[in-house]
Amino acid sequence: MHISDGVLPSSVALAGVAASAVIAVWSVRRTQPEDFPKIAVVTSAFFVASLIHVPLGPTSVHLLIPGLVGILLGDSAFVSIGLGLVLQSLLFQFGGITAIGANACMMGIPALVAGWIFRWLKGETLTRHVVAGIIAGGLGVVLAVLLLALLLMSGGEDFLGVAKLAMVAHLPVLGIESAVAGFTVSFLYRVKPDLLRSPPTLKAER
Amino acid sequence: MDFSVRVIELPLSVLALSCGGLAVLGVACVLALRVSRSRKSPDEGESERDWGIPAVDAHAEGSSPFHRWDTRIKIVSLLFTMLCLAALEQLAWAGLGLIASFAAVRVARIPFRYPLKRLAAMGAFLGMFVLVMPLTAPVRNGDTLVTFEHAAFITLNLRGLLLALLICAKACAIAVLMEPLLSTAPFPRTIQALANLGVPTFVCQMVLLAHRYVFVFQDETRRMLKGMAARGFEMRSNLDTLRTVGNFLGMLMVRSFERTQRIYDAMLSRGYDGSFPDAAEFRAQRGDWAKAGFWVAFGIGLLVADRIIR
Repeated sequence: MHISDGVLPSSVALAGVAASAVIAVWSVRRTQPEDFPKIAVVTSAFFVASLIHVPLGPTSVHLLIPGLVGILLGDSAFVSIGLGLVLQSLLFQFGGITAIGANACMMGIPALVAGWIFRWLKGETLTRHVVAGIIAGGLGVVLAVLLLALLLMSGGEDFLGVAKLAMVAHLPVLGIESAVAGFTVSFLYRVKPDLLRSPPTLKAER
Repeated sequence: MDFSVRVIELPLSVLALSCGGLAVLGVACVLALRVSRSRKSPDEGESERDWGIPAVDAHAEGSSPFHRWDTRIKIVSLLFTMLCLAALEQLAWAGLGLIASFAAVRVARIPFRYPLKRLAAMGAFLGMFVLVMPLTAPVRNGDTLVTFEHAAFITLNLRGLLLALLICAKACAIAVLMEPLLSTAPFPRTIQALANLGVPTFVCQMVLLAHRYVFVFQDETRRMLKGMAARGFEMRSNLDTLRTVGNFLGMLMVRSFERTQRIYDAMLSRGYDGSFPDAAEFRAQRGDWAKAGFWVAFGIGLLVADRIIR
């Protein structure tokens, strides 16, 4: 769920741009210069992955995967998410261009936190990795939804109902995201554990 | 304190009719989307969901005042106008902005289905506002409430509905204006203009590269999904589907990482130093500034009128 144009008060939208710019600069500083092109490529892989819809009863939900981005990219995740959101806004109108800062904070900060939690919990064994992946994947969604509700409510009490509905609507997504993150981590642990090593995940290949 | 609320009572049939109308509208939207999807890929003839990614600069070759506009000045002036549109507080002025956006699309000679596709992408998000806000907006002094006979538990707040419509109008006006902004110049040129305006080079590089690889990995995804379908995989609401999707994502990551490594090495060996050579030069002329003046004045004018004329 991305916030479209015209929803947020101008002050909140501009504050979002400022905050996301500061975090993005920090995130870039934490990234090796030779990794910039790789982050661009990983971003597009995530972008494509987020177009996949998983059926859920009569409807379907698309994956958000902020948690997985954090797991794989660590501190560089914020840049990756910001880039992905810019592209989604330009190509699809998913998320407004004037709300881009707020949207980047809403998805990027949970990705950072999920990445930290994953590195803290993952341990050495497959089981611990999977559990850490499930927690990080779920946490990414929970934090993103809380930030979404917070941003919506910045518009005043009129937005309370919408914020509540958005939170409830994301409950099933939470389950799906946790499970998918767990399975993806389990797959990567067996197939290419280098990607889960940290940090810098990308340099491990050289 | 003087607390006054106007209440309009309507017969229950009005509620039933409007609910039915909404349902018909929703079904029509879904059908229209289906039709446009099936028309987009007639040669594939498959029932699978279309994950097609639209080209951001589909009409870069055209000729219009927008195409001839200096890309740098176009970006700054239209972004400024968008910010003004986002700050509007009255439905009428936002509606005027929406009309102006469609006029801009017409002037730029972009087929209307492109901006309409952008509007469809926001449908679910904005629909949530229109449906929920009239029901949940708290009652304030001077509000108009709509109630229905025999259904006292439903109270619609007209102020909530107007607020939701205002949000829709603003969001649509800005979304429609994205088309003249983006699709009237080749995407690399737009990015080059951004770099020229002071956006850090690495950001521009990454947007360009990511935009390129979105299409590469989309092909990869299609191939993998086709392979999965050939082995009998079908998406359902169960844990097995989630496990398969998880493995699929993992495989996509592994392949994209490995591919990236090879591509990056190839770029380095061809002399990549963190930037692409500049392709075009920008030269601002009087006409460019005139167009900029028009859009900036329009944005400020809307905003001022919005605040002064009640």
